[in-house]
Amino acid sequence: MTEEEKNTQFNESAMFPWLQMVMDMWMNAAGSVPSGSKTALNAQNALQNRFTQQLDTNLNLLKSFSAMMKQPESESAAANAMKSMPDIFLKMTKAGFDAAMQIQNHLLEKAGRIGKRTEAYNFENLDQEVFRAWGEIYEKDIQPYFKIPPLGLTRFYQERFNEVLNKYNIFETTLAEFLSILYLPMEKSFKVFQEKLQQMVEEGNIPTSSKENYAMWIKILEGHYMTLFKSPDYTEALHRVLNHFENFMIVRNETMQDYLQMLPVVSHKDIDDLYKEFYLLKKRLKKMEKMLGISPNAMDTRK
Amino acid sequence: MSPTKIPIDLILEKMAEDAEKAQQRVSKAADVLQGQLNTDLATTPYDIVYEEDRVKLKHYTRREDADNHQKTPLLVVYALINRETMLDLQADRSVVKTFLDGGIDLYMVDWGYPKRKDRFVSIDDHVNGYMDHMIDFIRAKHNVPKVNLMGICMGGSFSVMYSALHPDKIKNLVTTVTPSSFDTDKGLLHVWMRDIDVDGIINTYGNIPGDLMNFGFLLLNPARLMIDKYVGFMENMDNKDFVENFVRMERWIFDSPDVPGATFRQFVEDCYKRNLLIQSKMYLGDQRVNLKNLTMPLLNFYGEYDHLVPPEACNQLTKAVGSSDVEDICLETGHIGIYVSSKFQKMFAPKIVQWLRDRDSEDIVAAPEKKPARATGKRKSTVKKKVAKTGEGITKARKN
Repeated sequence: MTEEEKNTQFNESAMFPWLQMVMDMWMNAAGSVPSGSKTALNAQNALQNRFTQQLDTNLNLLKSFSAMMKQPESESAAANAMKSMPDIFLKMTKAGFDAAMQIQNHLLEKAGRIGKRTEAYNFENLDQEVFRAWGEIYEKDIQPYFKIPPLGLTRFYQERFNEVLNKYNIFETTLAEFLSILYLPMEKSFKVFQEKLQQMVEEGNIPTSSKENYAMWIKILEGHYMTLFKSPDYTEALHRVLNHFENFMIVRNETMQDYLQMLPVVSHKDIDDLYKEFYLLKKRLKKMEKMLGISPNAMDTRK
Repeated sequence: MSPTKIPIDLILEKMAEDAEKAQQRVSKAADVLQGQLNTDLATTPYDIVYEEDRVKLKHYTRREDADNHQKTPLLVVYALINRETMLDLQADRSVVKTFLDGGIDLYMVDWGYPKRKDRFVSIDDHVNGYMDHMIDFIRAKHNVPKVNLMGICMGGSFSVMYSALHPDKIKNLVTTVTPSSFDTDKGLLHVWMRDIDVDGIINTYGNIPGDLMNFGFLLLNPARLMIDKYVGFMENMDNKDFVENFVRMERWIFDSPDVPGATFRQFVEDCYKRNLLIQSKMYLGDQRVNLKNLTMPLLNFYGEYDHLVPPEACNQLTKAVGSSDVEDICLETGHIGIYVSSKFQKMFAPKIVQWLRDRDSEDIVAAPEKKPARATGKRKSTVKKKVAKTGEGITKARKN
C-alpha cells in the first residue's frame, strides 16, 4: 500500500465520519431551539440577537473548517500529524524524564559528599552540600518557571504572587540549612561525650550518676556552640537566613497590600505614611512648645 | 591486661535512687505549681509623675523621716530592650529598695511598649526629647540645676550621649554594663551585628519585635538558656522559693517591648557598624556627641563574663571622656548577674549609694552656660580625684 493510499484510507475511516458527525450534531442542535425561545429570539432585532449571531458564526466556522479538511493537502497534513503524535509524546516524556534524572543525579552526587564530616570543635568549611545542591537545582531548574513573564491585565499581581512563592522556597531552603548547622553541635557533642565515656571506662573512673553525665555533656555542648557561633560559616548562614526571611516577608506584605486594596480596610503602607506625617508634625509641635515654655507632660494636661 | 570493671551495680543503684527522688519531686512539685505562687515583680510603690507619649516617669517613695537623705535626685534610664522592672525583681533582691534605703530620691524611666506608630522615633527623640524633658521636669520639681543620672546597657549609652550633650544638667553619671566601644570581636552580638541588613529588618517589621530579639539572645547560648536552665528548673520544681524566683525571672526576661525601627537602625549603623560613639563622631540630630564634654564624675560598672556587652565594649569609656573623676568597676559576673544576683548586688547597689553620697555633699554649683568643650581644649574639672584610668587601676570585686 502506497503512502497516499494509506492517508486516504485513514481519512475515510476516521476523519470524515467524525467531522460529519460533529457537524450534524451542531446543526441539529441549532434547529431544535424551542419554539417559545424562537419567538422570543425572533422578537429581537437580528443585529441585536447576540446569541443567534454567535451560534451562526460558530456553525459557519465549523462548516469552513470541515470543507477545508476535505482538501487533499489538509488530509495529508492531518494524517502526518496524527502519525507523528506518538513520537511527539515520546520525546516530551523523554525530555521530562531526562530532566528528572539529571536533578536526581545532581542531588545524589552532591549529597554523596555529606559523609565528609568536620572534626569536633571545628566548624570551618561546614559540609552543607545537600542544601547547596538543592539551592543550585532550584535556581537553575525551578526558579525560571517563576520568572516567566506573566501577561495581561493581572500580570502585575501574578508576578508578585510568583515572587512570593519564589522567595518562600528560597527562605525554606536557607532555613533548613541554618537549622541543620544549628543541630551540628548536638551531633558532635554526643560523639565527643561517647569518646569521653569510653576513655573514662578505660581509665576505670566512669561517672555513676546521671547528673554527672549530664553536666559533662552540657559543658561539651556549650563548648561546641561557642565554637560554632564564632565561625564565619555560621555567621554567613545566619545572615543568609535572615536576609531571605526578610525578602520573603517584604514580598508577602506587598502581596497582602494588593489584596487589601480590594477591601475597605486601611493598609500598613497607608498607616505608615500617616504615622510619618504625624511624627513630623508632633516633633515640630514639641519644638514650639519648648520655645513657649509649655511642658509636654501629659499629667499636667489632665489636672 | 584485665578489662576495667564498669560498676554496673553502682550505676543501677544510683539510677534507682534518682528515679525515687524524681518521683517524690514530681509529686511535691504538683502541689507547688498548683498552689498559690507569689510571682509579682516590681512591687515597690511608686507614682507616675510625668507622661509623654508612651513614656512614663516613675517616682519611688522613700521614707521621709529617714536622716540619710541625699540632696540630688537620681534618674535611672533603662535600655529599650526588656524592662526596668529588673531593678525591682523581688523585695529581698531589689536595687530600687537599696537605693531608697540609701536615701536616694529615685526616678526611673519606663519606656513603655513602642507601637508601629513609634517606628520613626529616633535616638535623638529619646535622648534630646524624652530624657531631656524628664530631666527638666525633675530639676524644676526639686529646684536643682543638676540631677544624678544612671544608665543601664543601651540606656547607659543614651545617658552617655545625654551627659555629653547636656553636661550642665548632670551632676554625676553612673553607667552599668554600658556599651560605648563597639569595635570588638569578644561579644557575639558585636560580630553578628556588623554585617546585619538592618534596613531589611526594619522594612519587614517596622519596629524590631521583642520576640525576635529574645530568640537572638537565646541563640547566644542555647545549651544553657534553652536546655540547662529548664533542667535546673525541673530539678528544683518542688522548691516553692526557687519556682517563684524562676517564674519572676521568666516573666521579666520574656517581657520584651519592640524597639523603634529608627532607633535600632542608628544604634546598629552608628555604634555597632561604625563605632562612632567612642570616637566622639556620632550625631544626634545636628549635634555631635563629643565625649570630651562629659566632665562630671563617672562611675562605670561592667561584668567580666558579660556575653552581651563584653568588658572590651565598656572599659574604653573612662579613657575617652573629659572627666578626671572616673572609676571602672569590673565584677566577676554576667550581664544580668550584677542586678539580680544577691552576691553581686551587694557589691553594686551599696557602692553606688556611697559613691553618690560622697559627691552629694559637694555644693551644687549653678548650671554653667552651655559651651561645648573642645577635644583639644583644657578640661573644666570641678572634681577632686582621679580614681582609675588605666587597666592596673581598675577596681575588681572578686568572688572571694
